[in-house]
Amino acid sequence: MSIPEQDRDDVLLWRAAKGDDESFTLLYRRHQAALYRFALRMTGNAWAAEEVVQDVFMTLMREPKKYDAGRGAVGAYLFGIARNRVMKHLERLPRELSMEARNGNGVRAGDTAVNAFTPVHWAEQQERSERVRAAVLELPAEFREAVVLCELEELSYEEAARLSGCPIGTIRSRLHRGRALLMAKLEILRDVPRRVSAATQRSAL
Amino acid sequence: MKCEEFEAIGLERSGVRMSELDAALRDAAAQHAARCPGCAALQDSWQEARMALQGLREMTRDAETPQRVEMRLRQEFGIRHRTAKARSAAIFAAWALAAAAVLLASVNWWNWRLAQTQHSGVSASAGNNVIRNSVVPASPATDTVDEATLVANNAVGDFTLLPGSLPQEVDDSAIVRVGMQRGALSALGLPVNEERVSDWIQVDLLVGQDGLPKAVRLPQSQ
Repeated sequence: MSIPEQDRDDVLLWRAAKGDDESFTLLYRRHQAALYRFALRMTGNAWAAEEVVQDVFMTLMREPKKYDAGRGAVGAYLFGIARNRVMKHLERLPRELSMEARNGNGVRAGDTAVNAFTPVHWAEQQERSERVRAAVLELPAEFREAVVLCELEELSYEEAARLSGCPIGTIRSRLHRGRALLMAKLEILRDVPRRVSAATQRSAL
Repeated sequence: MKCEEFEAIGLERSGVRMSELDAALRDAAAQHAARCPGCAALQDSWQEARMALQGLREMTRDAETPQRVEMRLRQEFGIRHRTAKARSAAIFAAWALAAAAVLLASVNWWNWRLAQTQHSGVSASAGNNVIRNSVVPASPATDTVDEATLVANNAVGDFTLLPGSLPQEVDDSAIVRVGMQRGALSALGLPVNEERVSDWIQVDLLVGQDGLPKAVRLPQSQ
């Protein structure tokens, strides 16, 4: 199903640049969730993710003419800005792990209702999720980005490579190393071949 | 398939990207996992990790930016574009004001020019009336001349200034047609043909406000 001409992202952006509040809001609502989830999964911090999304749309508001339709869709452009902001955030606070970050409603960032059969099961699931979240956040930024894009966002290699601005082979390689590191951190690596362990150690360094 | 190759593709066993691989590679990876316990263990480990990641994905699946961000952005958008509109309006008003000022100045100048021209015309016309009323009796030759010839042309272009007169002195002058002997022209400082000094002629005199002639011309009929 094709999007009507007047609702296309580039048309909305053009109208927003002319001062159309509704178009800007529509554009924001269309993309904010994906950008927020990416930023949240990359930073593990709801405040940082919120700031990233706000920065992205402030940039769009200030300099709408920087978008070049010939270089890709508006969504990819916004994602590129978000990615830069996330990387800057990670550079600024390389060891920040705000696992206890809570949003304005007092709910842990990104938490949603989960199926909890029993309190014990629920507690186990929470603990496991926390461990995974911590393990993902401890990955080096480029491996984390590959894991987030390919495993959490479920993008194809091609899409992930396009959004990251690197070749598909690089994404594959980063994902491979990211997985190995993740397994090591989760201590679920059992009888792993030596070469993977070595790769893990190299990556960890 | 070697273990290195398996690591590159085998971990996708149940992933969505497995469909991106061709069937032959998938089969080769499955056969390798069946033969190599190390790779099979790696694959199982990854499946466990994948399930853990899936749990994390589900937890953050519905995460959205808090409503306050949208409020802040909309507020900022409104301020930014209101300011821009106000600035545009101010620039437009300034230009409009400047254009109006120029237009007003042009109209004023044009009116002034028009008034100046009309003033000159009225002066000349007034002089013409004077001729109609006062000149005719003053001319001894007018009794025999057609009345139409006594009406002076009020165009002041072809007058010859008399010696000692200044051009600006003729602005408010009256034109008077008089009859005189040609020799009298020498009294006004004009050259005269000696053989025809006794001829009677009609001349137009431009008489200034002081009553003295300032310029002279011979009517067309002469």
